[in-house]
Amino acid sequence: MFELPVTTIEGPEIFVIEFGDIVNYFTVYTAALFTFALLFTILVIISRPERQVDIAFGGDAFYTKDVTPAQMKFQRFMALACGLATLGAMMSGDVFNFTLFTSMVGITNIGIVAAYKYKHVLNAAFQYGIVAMIATVPLFGSAAIILATTGTLSMWELFGSTIAVPLIAKIFLVLGVMGEGMAPFYVAKAEITRAPGAPYVLMIHVSSLLLFLRVVEIVISM
Amino acid sequence: MEEIYILGLLAVFLSIVIGFWALVKEEDDLHRILLTDLAEILALALIALVATDLAEALILPGLVVGISELMAISEVFLVREGLTRQPERMLHIEVMDSAPAILALALIGYGVLLSGFSGGAVAGIGVIFYFICKGHDERFAIFEVLSGYAWVMWIVAFFIFVLVPQYWFFGVLIAGAAILLKVAGKMSLVGTMRGGANV
Repeated sequence: MFELPVTTIEGPEIFVIEFGDIVNYFTVYTAALFTFALLFTILVIISRPERQVDIAFGGDAFYTKDVTPAQMKFQRFMALACGLATLGAMMSGDVFNFTLFTSMVGITNIGIVAAYKYKHVLNAAFQYGIVAMIATVPLFGSAAIILATTGTLSMWELFGSTIAVPLIAKIFLVLGVMGEGMAPFYVAKAEITRAPGAPYVLMIHVSSLLLFLRVVEIVISM
Repeated sequence: MEEIYILGLLAVFLSIVIGFWALVKEEDDLHRILLTDLAEILALALIALVATDLAEALILPGLVVGISELMAISEVFLVREGLTRQPERMLHIEVMDSAPAILALALIGYGVLLSGFSGGAVAGIGVIFYFICKGHDERFAIFEVLSGYAWVMWIVAFFIFVLVPQYWFFGVLIAGAAILLKVAGKMSLVGTMRGGANV
């Protein structure tokens, strides 16, 4: 009953579940992103934390830090939650659900880094948290403006040619995702990723990258 | 109607500019957390401007997400500043030893009678009172289990609504009972927020 209006951007649809006018769907494009996110979520489940080595400059000495999975329990849980939120954002067919999943990714990203006790990591996590929180203003703002001007939040309606989404809403959506996922601002994240626990910290990058790819698809299709 | 929306939009955008400007100027980190909370409210105002039933339904998840983000960064702030302190017992009077059991029993009984959201609130207040007075060395596992069952009941009720809509009344009853458990459990946690070994 539902047909994707434009198939040139993301390819034909593969799978569709409909709840009223909210349609969760996979196209070739989103299915690829979903698979990627799933792969990394599984990696987070099965992998053990990395062991960092600090080199002492001026000599041959080095320190190895022993990190056990027990110490990393919370990070692993948060990375898992982050993976699930990313999966949700990939297959969501509703603008508001997408924004909710995006802010969930933001929260879990803070959670992944917040458990470390290093001062510089906490500092970076705090700044990042402020940005993520401010970003909910344009994020929910865009959903609200889309709802107010078009009367629907379903992507299947919005992707059609009959409904024109205002430019400001699109700009807000991209801004919001940029703030939550921090996709182009890796400089701010460099401090965060100096924390130990490589496979879990990687989830921050993966989630923001996938979110950004997805929001580009949404904004172009609208 | 259209003009009112535009007018409201302008007012909110003006507030956003003011709020963001304040955030840029602010130096103190604690104040910045509070200002981000203000900015969060402006996002809710943007949703509220839509002024339909759907907007009302969207405000709640928006609020929940905002609060959880606020809690996350407050936690980061507390850890970073090393601001953790064991609170001591503030108040202890005779009535707190004798009254809680019977009052809590009455409130919970009345809450079960009311059922639903308000019933959960009443029953929750009963449990809050009990925990505040009696201490809370009880195991929290039971709340987690109850909360999990409530969640499952919601899912069951949802499937009843979707798959067999003619049994909607049964679905309503299940969802009502689940929200009673959920609200009561959540509120009772408030009564335990005075610090202690297992909090």
